Amino acid sequence: MQILEELNKDIGKLSLDLGGFIKQNVADFRKKGVLLGVSGGVDSAVTLTLSVQELGAENVYGLLLPEKESAPSSTPLGAEICESLGVQYEEVPISPILESLDIYNRKDQVIKRACPEYDPEVHKTSLVLPDFLDGGSMNVPYIKLAKDGEVVAQHRLKAKDYLELIGLQGVKQRSRMIVQYMYAEKMNYAVCGTTNKTEMVLGQFVKYGDGGVDIEPLADCYKTQVYALAKHLNVSEAIRERPPSPDTWSHYTSDQDFYWRMPMNAIDQLLYAQEHQLPLDVIKENTGLPEEKIIKAQKHFDVVKKNTEYIRAAAPVFSLNGNH
Amino acid sequence: MEKIRDDIIDFLKGQSFMDSNTQFADNESLTKAGIIDSIGLLELLDHISESYSIEIPEDMLTPDNLDSLQGITNLILKLKYERS
Repeated sequence: MQILEELNKDIGKLSLDLGGFIKQNVADFRKKGVLLGVSGGVDSAVTLTLSVQELGAENVYGLLLPEKESAPSSTPLGAEICESLGVQYEEVPISPILESLDIYNRKDQVIKRACPEYDPEVHKTSLVLPDFLDGGSMNVPYIKLAKDGEVVAQHRLKAKDYLELIGLQGVKQRSRMIVQYMYAEKMNYAVCGTTNKTEMVLGQFVKYGDGGVDIEPLADCYKTQVYALAKHLNVSEAIRERPPSPDTWSHYTSDQDFYWRMPMNAIDQLLYAQEHQLPLDVIKENTGLPEEKIIKAQKHFDVVKKNTEYIRAAAPVFSLNGNH
Repeated sequence: MEKIRDDIIDFLKGQSFMDSNTQFADNESLTKAGIIDSIGLLELLDHISESYSIEIPEDMLTPDNLDSLQGITNLILKLKYERS
């Protein structure tokens, strides 16, 4: 069995089914259309295209929500796909929201504690984790400082600084959620999420941030399938070839650098194999990884899934009937 | 050695998700047993640095050194010895 072939098969049907899902849920929620945050990345490009095919461009609205640390290419790529699909869109920079909460200054202070040489005027920053498959390093995050595109230093974070940074960074996605609902409610539209399955199962999204949406069409599609959909839907090469990233650090940080800790093909094949309980020899043949690394990765996924349960969970409700 | 081991156990009992009655072998994986997660690991590193006045070099951040009670104890002893 070839896992990638499985993931890439029947993409035309998948595309139609996803479109049907969007249409059905918009109708069920009695909304007039969908609103999406368009990041210039492949997930939102695919979701936007599916929405337009199913609902018509006149019932889809795009929001470009850049901030000071977004990659310069994000807004033009987002605008380009909206224009190519005939979708009305608006750019609403969220930097003023972040500035009003002092997010950038607070972030600079945390980074300065970890990296004494940090100069916000000179350095760009990113948060990375060591590669899972290559090295034997533990899951310890580092701040990298880059100057003129080159990494010039990296420092380990203390626990309290790491937690503070995660909270500060999450304000970016949560601010976008606020703006999306401000527009969606005015238009009586549903907010359409863009989280894929690779992110969903590993909890790689911000609760009440990019996870704060009305519908999630892609949340059962691995990232590999999202790319196959992008190709099928003729999403531009500029978007398809861009390394996927949450785009929240000033030095471009890919999903592979922080979330996945391995290439997309490897993580999707390993997650698919775990989901379908494939035998080790099949996983070895597909990934080319030794048995020891496969087992290590699967144990790592188990721990990550357990530790991120709260991100996927709706708030537990105490039941007066005793069923909790 | 016993003192360091007991200190780490006390830290894990106080800071981690480990139940105070949990028993585990000195060479058991702390991450696989769910005793420490990624945040717990950072807290453990901070605790070691602050309590023993040692900095753990990057190349020593390995499972062999940090994913078991035995590994952590040996690491602290080694770094304390090198410092002295």
